[in-house]
Amino acid sequence: MSHAMKPSLTFQGGTLVLYDVDENFRVPAPFEWVKARWRCPAYHYTALLPWLREQGIRDTLPRWETLNLTLHDNRQPHDYQTESLNAWDAADRRGSIVLPTGAGKTFVAIQAIKRTQRSAVIVAPTIDLLHQWYARLVNAFQVEVGVYYGGEKIIKPLTVTTYHSAGDLIANQGSNFKLIIFDEVHHLPAPNWGETALMSPSPFRLGLTATYPEEYEQTNGRWRVDDLIGPIVYTKLIDDLAGDQLAEYRTERIRIDLTPEERAQYDADYAIYADFFRSHNLQRTYGPNWLSELMRRSAFDTEARRALLARKRILHLLSDAEEKKRMLDHLLREYAHEQTLIFNEYNAIVYDISRRHLIPALTGETKAAERKQILEAFQAGKYRAIVTSKVLNEGIDVPEAKIAIVLAGTANAREYIQRLGRVLRKVGNRQAVLFEVIARDTIEESQSQRRRPKKVRV
Amino acid sequence: MLTGELVRPRLHPRSGKLHVTMLKSKPQALETAADLIALFGQHAGQPQHIWDEALEDYEGERTDYTIIRGLAKVLEDAATFVPLETPIAPPELREILFERGPVFATTDLFHPLTQQNTLETVASELSLSISQIETLLFADHPAEYILADVGADWTPADLIARYNLELARGVLYWSSEMRIDLRDSYKDFWRYLKLFKLMFWAFVNPDGGYHVTLDGPISPFVKSTTRYGRQFAAFLPALFLCEQWQMDADVHFSQKVLNYHLDSKTPLTSHFKRSGAFDSHMEADFAAEFEAKFGNERGEWALTREDEILLLGDTVMIPDFALTHKEDGRRALIEIIGFWHPDYLRRKIEKIRAANRRNLILLVYEGVNLTRDRLQDTPNEVLYFPKKPVLKDVMDAVERAAE
Repeated sequence: MSHAMKPSLTFQGGTLVLYDVDENFRVPAPFEWVKARWRCPAYHYTALLPWLREQGIRDTLPRWETLNLTLHDNRQPHDYQTESLNAWDAADRRGSIVLPTGAGKTFVAIQAIKRTQRSAVIVAPTIDLLHQWYARLVNAFQVEVGVYYGGEKIIKPLTVTTYHSAGDLIANQGSNFKLIIFDEVHHLPAPNWGETALMSPSPFRLGLTATYPEEYEQTNGRWRVDDLIGPIVYTKLIDDLAGDQLAEYRTERIRIDLTPEERAQYDADYAIYADFFRSHNLQRTYGPNWLSELMRRSAFDTEARRALLARKRILHLLSDAEEKKRMLDHLLREYAHEQTLIFNEYNAIVYDISRRHLIPALTGETKAAERKQILEAFQAGKYRAIVTSKVLNEGIDVPEAKIAIVLAGTANAREYIQRLGRVLRKVGNRQAVLFEVIARDTIEESQSQRRRPKKVRV
Repeated sequence: MLTGELVRPRLHPRSGKLHVTMLKSKPQALETAADLIALFGQHAGQPQHIWDEALEDYEGERTDYTIIRGLAKVLEDAATFVPLETPIAPPELREILFERGPVFATTDLFHPLTQQNTLETVASELSLSISQIETLLFADHPAEYILADVGADWTPADLIARYNLELARGVLYWSSEMRIDLRDSYKDFWRYLKLFKLMFWAFVNPDGGYHVTLDGPISPFVKSTTRYGRQFAAFLPALFLCEQWQMDADVHFSQKVLNYHLDSKTPLTSHFKRSGAFDSHMEADFAAEFEAKFGNERGEWALTREDEILLLGDTVMIPDFALTHKEDGRRALIEIIGFWHPDYLRRKIEKIRAANRRNLILLVYEGVNLTRDRLQDTPNEVLYFPKKPVLKDVMDAVERAAE
């Protein structure tokens, strides 16, 4: 029978599959004979290209497009940014660039996309950063940009996704992108995340980070970034770039009182919570895992359940205390001409504040386009204040913000620093102020203490 | 489907196996289920957050809150929440309002309008009332979606049964591989396998039935991947459509690989539909005509629908009909190729070639974009027909090909 079809290679769920190539055919090492076909992870695509050509195997994989992007951003790259890109080019566009925070990694990525001029996917650690990438790419290239995550799934030649959603996107559409960029590439060694890079056939790979993972972070069932992306092609340390980039700032702690009703409720709930907490020695026995232990117990122990509910009511009461509302009112009036960010812990309270003062709210529910619109209008001074939950915590640029008002948060020091960092991008010589509004004689006093690191350095 | 945190507390590892604590239909559980069904029903037409708050009140201090939330999730998944129809898109309204903020309850030098004044102004500009504005402001957020249709008509026992099914599905979220033994060849099993785009590998068991392994494309290269767990979970109910079966899954739980076993003794039931008798009118017409002309006592051949599965490695082919000779047991298989998309057709031809069965007869509709020479080098009888197959020709072919 001579019906044998021409051998071909296809992309299937993050793997390469050879069709019409039989078991006796000699194929190179990464291929394994699995389920009646030669298969291997799509990662090997580039290395296999010469062999495919030599054998005359039809390559049906690439679905990526050649783009014609022009840069609508007149900023010139710094010398170190150009050097890093040249090094990446010289390494066949595979590998990581290590630059300190604030050294313009996004800008480097945008330049890399422009040099490549092929469909690209950017993988970011959080939805918030996904939104920031979206805004930066739209502004830089003035083209439609896709976003792929739980809330929206729109695929374009330039698409931004999260580590969490990248697996699905790459398994199904990995052959749509010739370039894959991993932002904060130190997340890649995690088992599920690394799989994404293994399933991607993209010949061009770029990792970006300020903190390349240590050896021990890449062993014991974790992936190696060098294997998946390529080696480090360029490094600049913070000392190499240190200048006077940070703004001066001060912090101010404002104590408010609970109303008598709030006080009574607080004391009652605190008694329930503290009794359980102490009598069961939670902190001493479980250390930092005390909260998950409390949650575990609350599924069978009524006392634990009561304590957990009391804790929840306390946190809610503190976030929404009457005097905090009054203080917010006061601060917003006092700094009527400053760009202000307001932080709270709960979405519902964020929306209340948004309604009460008619200011935009940014939460996990805010879609990419609106988020971009809000941040831009804020930068342009059209919006004077933004109220947000946890959204602006990590790495989001809001350089115009000069006042931050923290109405509620956790004892998490990292979060505190990052919130500070939001208002600390120096613009001119203006001083930034972070107001921390806390309720007197409540757990917030000690939380606030704990969240201040020994020495604030940003 | 349930979220992982609603499943996890119900799972218990015990000597290498994973056990699920199912909810028994005891009076207390039935009462809870009945309460939730009633409560949910009362919230038809209301925003989701009102329902969420009612549910939280109902939970109160009860320690079985993961069960309550699980039952509620089953209700919600079967229901429909829709965004309010709005005369103005909420993001647009927000932009108009927030340009005027921040505002306060009272005025001052820099803020000559109060919040109330501002709402009034915008409301009149948009010819809306203040209360409409307040309702519309965040109407596009899921919390404001309206419970438009409570979905299924649950009895408490149904709800518990479905909750238990969802727990069993939930186990598979953390699964890397499923192995299934089927005694019968229930066709819907194979249909659903394809529907959920699962990769499978099947062979005939020496003692009858089939052994099927399910995983995904990357599985051979990343042994512990749980990437396909959600698909396994989605597929699971199809298994309950079979008569006799057993299933073993490798589940990655608490840093161990545990076995999760289910078999036909399970009380779990499927909510998946069994497929109808025919996929197309061509097949229905063919069966009807056969019955009229060759059916009952007169004919030598008995016609059955999809009773044989051709295992083709990573796929299967289920011919539309089988004809079995009533005396000597010779069999012929019939596949009707009707109106199809070119891609489907290409795969079909590949399968027919791979099947390499001489007793497979192809009935090809002439309108199909299928050149005759593409079927030339198959071992099969191929009959082309312009409108409907001529039954006499088909029976002649059956006589020739049956074996």
